[in-house]
Amino acid sequence: MKKLILYTFATLLALCVKAEAIDASKAEKFVQNVTKEGIEEIINSNVSIEQKDARFEKLFNTYLDLDYIGRFVLGRYWKTATPAQRKEFIDVYRAFNVKTWSQRFDEFKGKSFDFAGTTPSNSQGQVFVNTTVDMENAEPVKVVWRVKEDNGQMKIIDIIIENISLAITARNEYTAFIKKSPNGIDDLIADLKKKSAK
Amino acid sequence: MKKVLYAFLAVLLVSACATNPNGTKMKISDEETKLEVYNRAMFNFNYQLDKMVFKPIAKGYKAVTTQGVRDRVTSFFNNLEEPASAINNLLQGEFQNSGVSVARFAVNATFGVLGLYDVATTWGMTQKSNSFDATMAKYCIPDGPFFVMPVIGPSTPRYLVGWGVDSFANPMYWALLDKKDETWAITTIYGSTALKYINKRAENMALLDSLEEGSVDFYATVKSAFLQNRQKFKSFCNCKADGAPEAASYDFDFEDMDEEE
Repeated sequence: MKKLILYTFATLLALCVKAEAIDASKAEKFVQNVTKEGIEEIINSNVSIEQKDARFEKLFNTYLDLDYIGRFVLGRYWKTATPAQRKEFIDVYRAFNVKTWSQRFDEFKGKSFDFAGTTPSNSQGQVFVNTTVDMENAEPVKVVWRVKEDNGQMKIIDIIIENISLAITARNEYTAFIKKSPNGIDDLIADLKKKSAK
Repeated sequence: MKKVLYAFLAVLLVSACATNPNGTKMKISDEETKLEVYNRAMFNFNYQLDKMVFKPIAKGYKAVTTQGVRDRVTSFFNNLEEPASAINNLLQGEFQNSGVSVARFAVNATFGVLGLYDVATTWGMTQKSNSFDATMAKYCIPDGPFFVMPVIGPSTPRYLVGWGVDSFANPMYWALLDKKDETWAITTIYGSTALKYINKRAENMALLDSLEEGSVDFYATVKSAFLQNRQKFKSFCNCKADGAPEAASYDFDFEDMDEEE
């Protein structure tokens, strides 16, 4: 019983303190810079595809916390994975994302993000930056950026398009895949490798 | 035929009400496992059907039309959905939005040449689309389980009922209601429906291809995305009168490693 009371107080305290509150306007500026860099220096630039891919990879690795996201998307399988499997997965997940996103990113050619303020998160040191993208022939698309601050360093940890979180989607997909594969995580790693080599 | 349809909808409604209203995760029962097995099988069936029939047709359609033509088609069918938006905005107490939907329909049907051009948007009247699905969400009718319909694809009972009800508000349906015994009217209905979905499929070609290419389990991806998108309706229900705004569905805890399926 005592333990329970203590635990309750500790939780309440943790909820109230939120000492490491993230600076929302700084986070918004951070996302503004990332989208600006992505659109101006990559999508709208007139350089070769190889150069575009290289620039994109750099942007991706600088501003996205792929280690953090990669851990999350494996869900409970992260806990049972060996250190070697973890490292291999993060590496292949990074390569795979760079590849798919550098292809998809071209869809944003000529488009721009309108910034619409921020929303606080229940998680400490995190905030959501709200944006919309105007579409031809359709209503604007809502894109929300989840930003985390670690030791003064801002990183994007999730992108939510029309309420669809990329991190949650990837987790549902990967855990479903691991569950039905005979060799579990190793099969997932092999499949992602094959996909990023194409 | 209509009776069968009503019976079908009634069953869906009942099954919708019978499911867990909180949307919280129940223990995985045999029924859920069975539904999942059925869903995967039906998803694969639809996928093959799309691959062999709809996608090739959409590709052909894309080859013989220009982007401008496809934009006109999209615009035309969008405009036919304005009356449904107007009614649902009204049912949800969004009177101003309802007025916008009515005005948009009138402006686009006339100045926009039967809706081929979206003049209303350029005049500053942005679309306020709404659906009976959202109306039901507003009146706290639960969504029900995810299931894959033959041909139609991913759905939930509430989604499907909303879709059926909204189709009755389509002006094309009303215009041809008293001519339903004439062949040309039937042809028009089926023809336009086919055009609407082939146009949609063609416009979504790149998106769906890239989604599939980047996926290791396409069924899991589609299911996850479909259900997450529907989470936006969760905050619509006014029955919960505690007034506290619900946290966004995507504000999950990154440190929580025990996922729900």
